[in-house]
Amino acid sequence: MTEGKELEGLRQEVRGWLDANAPRGWRESYDNHEAFAQSQREWFAKLVEGGYAIPHWPAEWPGGGRSLAEQKVIYEELARADTPRLLLSFVSTYHAASTFFECGSEEQKARYLPKILEGETWCQGFSEPNAGSDLAALKTKAERKGDVYVVNGQKVWSTMAQYADKCLLLVRTSSDGPKQAGITYLLMDMKAKGVTVRPINQIQGDQEFCEIFLDDVEIPVEERVGEEGQGWAVAQATLASERGLTLMELSYRMQGALWRIAELIRKNGLEEDAGVLRDFGHLVTRIDCTCAIADQFLQNRIDGAERVGDASLVKNTYSRVLREYSLLGTRLGGIDEQYQAPITFGDLNTGNWMADFMNSYAWTIAGGSEEVQRNIIAERMLEMQREPKDWVAS
Amino acid sequence: MIELSELRDAAQKAFPADELIPDRDESWKLIAEMGWLMMPLPEESGGLGLGRDAVTAINLELGRVLSSAPLVPALLTVQAIGASESLVDRDSWIERTCSGEYVALNLLPGDIALADAGTLSGTLPAVPDADMASHVLVFAKGLSALVPLDAPSISVSERKLWDESRRLFDITLDNCAVDESLMLARDDASHDIANRLHGELQLALAADCLGGANAALDMTVEYLRTRKQFSRPLAMFQALKHRCADLKTHIAATEALLWSRAVDADASVTDLGALKALAADVYRFVTEEAIQLHGGIGLTDEHQCHLFMKRAMLNLSLGGSGDELKERAGRQALETYSA
Ligand SMILES: Cc1cc2nc3c(=O)[nH]c(=O)nc-3n(C[C@H](O)[C@H](O)[C@H](O)COP(=O)(O)OP(=O)(O)OC[C@H]3O[C@@H](n4cnc5c(N)ncnc54)[C@H](O)[C@@H]3O)c2cc1C
Repeated sequence: MTEGKELEGLRQEVRGWLDANAPRGWRESYDNHEAFAQSQREWFAKLVEGGYAIPHWPAEWPGGGRSLAEQKVIYEELARADTPRLLLSFVSTYHAASTFFECGSEEQKARYLPKILEGETWCQGFSEPNAGSDLAALKTKAERKGDVYVVNGQKVWSTMAQYADKCLLLVRTSSDGPKQAGITYLLMDMKAKGVTVRPINQIQGDQEFCEIFLDDVEIPVEERVGEEGQGWAVAQATLASERGLTLMELSYRMQGALWRIAELIRKNGLEEDAGVLRDFGHLVTRIDCTCAIADQFLQNRIDGAERVGDASLVKNTYSRVLREYSLLGTRLGGIDEQYQAPITFGDLNTGNWMADFMNSYAWTIAGGSEEVQRNIIAERMLEMQREPKDWVAS
Repeated sequence: MIELSELRDAAQKAFPADELIPDRDESWKLIAEMGWLMMPLPEESGGLGLGRDAVTAINLELGRVLSSAPLVPALLTVQAIGASESLVDRDSWIERTCSGEYVALNLLPGDIALADAGTLSGTLPAVPDADMASHVLVFAKGLSALVPLDAPSISVSERKLWDESRRLFDITLDNCAVDESLMLARDDASHDIANRLHGELQLALAADCLGGANAALDMTVEYLRTRKQFSRPLAMFQALKHRCADLKTHIAATEALLWSRAVDADASVTDLGALKALAADVYRFVTEEAIQLHGGIGLTDEHQCHLFMKRAMLNLSLGGSGDELKERAGRQALETYSA
């Protein structure tokens, strides 16, 4: 790719910085959660110091105000240097930050955004046992009592909640009218009285997400984002943050990890196997498509030309291709992959193919499942008629 | 600078979506009038100096209406002529071809042998619309030249395709003498032109595939939205929605790569071939589903569904098979991606 002088300059700058600063051998140390969390905090702090942690934030922030092309260069280089993905600070720098930038009060911005750069971490408390795809059905109840909301209920699948300082919390403040109308958006301190966090064991041996139990938790009224009953609209800002920038980063990381398949082909002496080469060539091209559509989406977003459903196209492309990638690795790895090997916490393209395969479900299920995205594409983009809404149990 | 969107609008006006397989000769006239044949040539040699993305836009739009005019090979031969250093009267050749004289090209590899006496023999398979061509561009080992189709040592035969939107001919050369004044290039220069044309062909076919795939999906969704069974539009059934959404996702992702490779001067022939292979897979998948989702009507000759499916199937083969192109892409990636 030919690129302008400035971008090439930035690339050299980032590369030079990474040569000196990128952590090495981190995969081996990511086999227990304490080491993982510690190293994640250190790496985040280093990136903040280097000015590469939040290129998507506005320009008044150190390291912010980067154009799409610049962000792309930074993420390409982070992927190329095989740095750890910023999982622990992911919700903070994307979800929380987007929510504050778009809907937060000036006070909230001033209070929380600088803290994020200092390493304060956020988790997202949206889903509940009976409110998954149908998020608006959430039942966690908040009652206003003077200057506080008193909250009772249960959240689930909250990523990294065991390490989080704060929580983006959706609660029900009213049961009248349409279910979206009674939702309110609160900012909760995870150390508040009445908050219990219980990590959930996952199929690949990780504990990436948690249950959060809320028992008479008091949250001051000034910790509300938007008005009471406006939480659904605010939540859209939170959710939208996930569907562009992140997918571009992840797409480039997946492309950057293609050498793992190449290595596997070489290791197995399959360099002349036409069938394997075809499957590899196909996968590479699918990954190139994934990067291209993620790029195009961001460019459209910058140009104000985003269409309803575009984000769903990007997400369903990435999540499917991620699955294809891990399946090709699992296949080429053969029986070796069926013996348990240590996992690397919080990485999607580790080369532990069974673990990568199991992890790839995160993207077909979380953030609006593949099926929900299909509904959006069909109904809102292709204008296929909606089904009648109500269902009465017989 | 012409905007891509303006170009696409103009193409959609000239070739409206509801008129599939427009008459070939009329289309050809229109294409020449629109100036599309001169798109890729630089302005100093009488062209419009438009980039590959402009050519891609037109090829995509013409794929949408299953165009039967040989714009794809014509644009390639115009570029070859423009790149020639040795063609006598090159400027007049440029003028002739840009205004509608058609120089044909084979879309599958030929087996042309060069005898010591300097004559050419062998077959050029899959040459579109040879019946309306004055010459064919022939690549042989170490040379490329234009060969007039009325030469006695040349025979042209057509075999009827399933794809009724296209006509392909086999051209056989039997000790055909090469006219020195029609020589395009020799050795490395000839090889470079062949290579470049091969890449452009892949890109053009990919655009044709995605134009057609878009049209076939639009048609299918429209059908499902209007056809009622079980007292509701078929489009309401989620099983069908999800299939359409997946088709849309495949098209969108592949189209994103199409536009990105169209402006990437560094994309290799292998990259463009891999794109074409994927685009043809997508086209096949979309049109295969289109017939299924139309039910019985999709199997009738009268309905338009099959026209897209047949073109998609032909596109799988043109420019090389997917197996071959993907294998090459895999080999290239093995070099690119090392630890
Ligand atoms: C790795 C991971 C991390 C997560 N992190 C967080 C987090 O930090 N915070 C948070 O709040 N939540 C988080 N989630 C929760 C996530 O948002 C939910 O899992 C998701 O919304 C799906 O809900 P569910 O699991 O209840 O599945 P369900 O909604 O019960 O779905 C079950 C199946 O039914 C399908 N389905 C559901 N509705 C429809 C429909 N209308 N049409 C067709 N098919 C349908 C689904 O696609 C799925 O296949 C995370 C999930 C994962 C997997």
